[in-house]
Amino acid sequence: MSVPVAANARPSTAPALGPESAVAWPKRSVRTLANGMQVVLAEARTFPRISAQLFLRSGNAAVARTSPGLAGMAASVVRTGTKSRASRRIEEDLRRMGADLGTHAGADSSAIAISGLAEFSGGLVELAGDLARNASFPEAEFERERRQRIEELRVERTTPGFLANERFRRVIFGEHPYAVTAPTEDQVGAYRRDGLEEFYRRHYSPANALLIAVGDFSSDEMAGQIEKAFGDWKGPGPEAQAMADPPRYSGRRVYLVDLPGTVQTQVLVGNLGITRSNPDWHSTVLANSIFGGAFHSRLIINIREQKGYTYSPRSAATALRQQGYFSVHAAVRNEVVAATLTEIFYEMDRMRALPVTPEELESARNYLSGVFSLGVATQEGLLGQLSTVYLERLAEDYLEGYRERIRALTAEDALEAARRHFDSANARIVIVGDRAQIEAQAALFGQVTAFDASGKQI
Amino acid sequence: MEHTTLENGLRVVAAPDRSAPVATVGVYYQIGFRLEPRGRSGFAHLFEHMMFQGSENAGKMEHIRLINSSGGLLNGTTHYDVTNYFEAVPSNALDRVLWLEADRMRALKVDDENLRNQRDVVKEEVRVNVMNQPYGGFPWLDLPPVAFRNWPNAHNFYGDFADLDAATLADVRNFFHTYYSPNNAVLVMIGDFDAKEAFASAKRYFDDIPAHPLPPRTDVSEPSQTEERRGEVEEKLGPLPAIAIGYTMPPRGSREWHAAAILDRVLHGGRAGRVYHRLVLEKQIAVDADGGADLLDTNGPTQMVTRIFHRPEYTSEATVAAFDEVVSEVQREGIPADELDAVKVKFRADYYSMLEGGMGSYMPRFGLMHYLACFTLFDGDPGRVNTALAGFLAVTPEEAQAAARKYLLPQNRAVLLRRPPKAAASPKGGAQ
Repeated sequence: MSVPVAANARPSTAPALGPESAVAWPKRSVRTLANGMQVVLAEARTFPRISAQLFLRSGNAAVARTSPGLAGMAASVVRTGTKSRASRRIEEDLRRMGADLGTHAGADSSAIAISGLAEFSGGLVELAGDLARNASFPEAEFERERRQRIEELRVERTTPGFLANERFRRVIFGEHPYAVTAPTEDQVGAYRRDGLEEFYRRHYSPANALLIAVGDFSSDEMAGQIEKAFGDWKGPGPEAQAMADPPRYSGRRVYLVDLPGTVQTQVLVGNLGITRSNPDWHSTVLANSIFGGAFHSRLIINIREQKGYTYSPRSAATALRQQGYFSVHAAVRNEVVAATLTEIFYEMDRMRALPVTPEELESARNYLSGVFSLGVATQEGLLGQLSTVYLERLAEDYLEGYRERIRALTAEDALEAARRHFDSANARIVIVGDRAQIEAQAALFGQVTAFDASGKQI
Repeated sequence: MEHTTLENGLRVVAAPDRSAPVATVGVYYQIGFRLEPRGRSGFAHLFEHMMFQGSENAGKMEHIRLINSSGGLLNGTTHYDVTNYFEAVPSNALDRVLWLEADRMRALKVDDENLRNQRDVVKEEVRVNVMNQPYGGFPWLDLPPVAFRNWPNAHNFYGDFADLDAATLADVRNFFHTYYSPNNAVLVMIGDFDAKEAFASAKRYFDDIPAHPLPPRTDVSEPSQTEERRGEVEEKLGPLPAIAIGYTMPPRGSREWHAAAILDRVLHGGRAGRVYHRLVLEKQIAVDADGGADLLDTNGPTQMVTRIFHRPEYTSEATVAAFDEVVSEVQREGIPADELDAVKVKFRADYYSMLEGGMGSYMPRFGLMHYLACFTLFDGDPGRVNTALAGFLAVTPEEAQAAARKYLLPQNRAVLLRRPPKAAASPKGGAQ
């Protein structure tokens, strides 16, 4: 085809941006069934697929004191049998509907996630209902899943990122259930089938359930299918549990996990933070994106693009339901552990001491606003955003108002957020690597406590 | 979806999609790690990093700043036969993206300091993804040297550190001049725009980039194989023994290739796959077993690869024997019609899923971009994105069984063992 074009039109500077378009929000409906189950439907009719997640508002935090990781094991076994379907039948039914299934538990929730071809939406909803209501916990499947989990744990204990995160959560959360990221082998060995069933009975109940479906369907038809699969589900929600407060701490401390002979050190620096209900949440997200949350952020320019210490450094503000944390991650060569920590604290302190420039502010607001638009442009992305809103019980217009709230933030907001929530002076420092090569470097930043990969203090 | 070719040979594809105010853009060059120079293993990937280090009108970090500050994300990846650079942005930034991509296609502007810096970054990338990760590089780096004999297919794609150290700025300039030419590339634009305007913008920014003559295509074909190949690599971190079994695929686009792709989904594809079912669920020899084949985005010798992590109390021989039983059942008895039908439904669902997202949930239509680019470069026809499924869905039980009998043979495979040095007692506890 031929295209008319003005001659000689190529500019030597980047074209200016046009005005930002409004997000095209899909048709969305929210209802609560008579049994208390909340249902959120969003029509996104781009590809002939649907994605649905049934959340139960209880996860591993609910069992951290009694049986760590049990919610995760219960979720794994849920997919292995119901009163009317054996394991193999479940997997074959899924494939027949072009579907993928994930069943898992995080700290605050458990989930049955199913996605597949829209032409099978009724069958997909029916199968999700069967798993949520009629799981039979076959003994042999449970024993196999248990052994498999133990093997996985053994691999995780050789993974630097896992070990760093495990130690960090222990340190910042103390007696709070969020301290536990994974069970021990012995704890997995102590799971009993009736313990899983009891968790399922108490927590997989309509009053504790939230179903979100996104995709190529008519909301009325989907609501009918959901009513059919879940309408006569009965059961009360679990009682709320009291959870211990995380510890207060002061001064920098170093926690070293020794992995002898490793060629790289995993560095994790951070502190307790905030949840989404905190009024500082958006300004903290903004400050984080300038500090280390985007490719074009200060930390990445510094320790990757200027110094070449690391491949993928990043920082994050993470919100769980009751608590949050701020964390900075970098995997660096062993010789530059002290140098990396120096730069991390330099950049944290700079965020706390001086306002960001007008260009940085504008860039970060654009970044967060634009990436938000990208994030809701796919079915899975939209489902993820909706799940945050309804699991955390945020305002109904949280997503619709997000870009405006970001646009209203100022340099002063970023400065305040960094001062309150990037706790440089009292940071917890976790390093995972070869003790002989890195301990002296780390000791420059605080008293060192060392552990082996099993978690034992050494 | 429309496409055109500029006078300099750059192919341009535009696929308007008004469902969200975003645009996804990819520039694909037909050069991957298969064709990097000998003595410079890892160079195609190192070079990809250099493409972010500055161009004529956008210095170091300017590409990244301009995309991030437009509300967009960007990255690049190196594959066997292509290297891609891509952005997802709010649609008001489309012109800016095109300007940036054109600027670096026209004139890369980098120095020794940039090269030193990115060499360090790439080494940390290799450490974090391979050397300091249990099963890092398994099996995508381990298997090709065992499976293949022709250097383009058989070398270390991430690069030996000595080769990375040996790379010079002259190598960078030479590689750029040889392969990063508009007539060796395709530009794909997807999203909320008018096709006519997008083509006009593409012409505006890319039209005056001069074409270079391309080198003759390197022969990447493999000599014929007559017996099973075996190799072993030590696993330094993880406690479980792992096995990769790779069968070389039939030629791309042939009926047998379509049949082998369906066969792959019979054997693999999660818990419903025959390998997982037999080895993990039924016999419980393995802790995990799955596999797959690179199909649409490769254009040279490639394999269907099974990955098995097995319990240390079983030998690798016993594990491979259990796998072989699964294969010989398919060869002997074929695949029941209902199973084949289910596999095809799943194949279709996975294809849509790939088109819609394909790179987590954060890059809309990434898979559509990827396939449009590969179909254009390898087949000269982006329209195949709409018709490619048919060839797979038409595979008959007879074709699938025949492909199993012809291709799933010891003399067409490589077996790679990745084993911990000893049955080491692994750390048992958990952090307290």
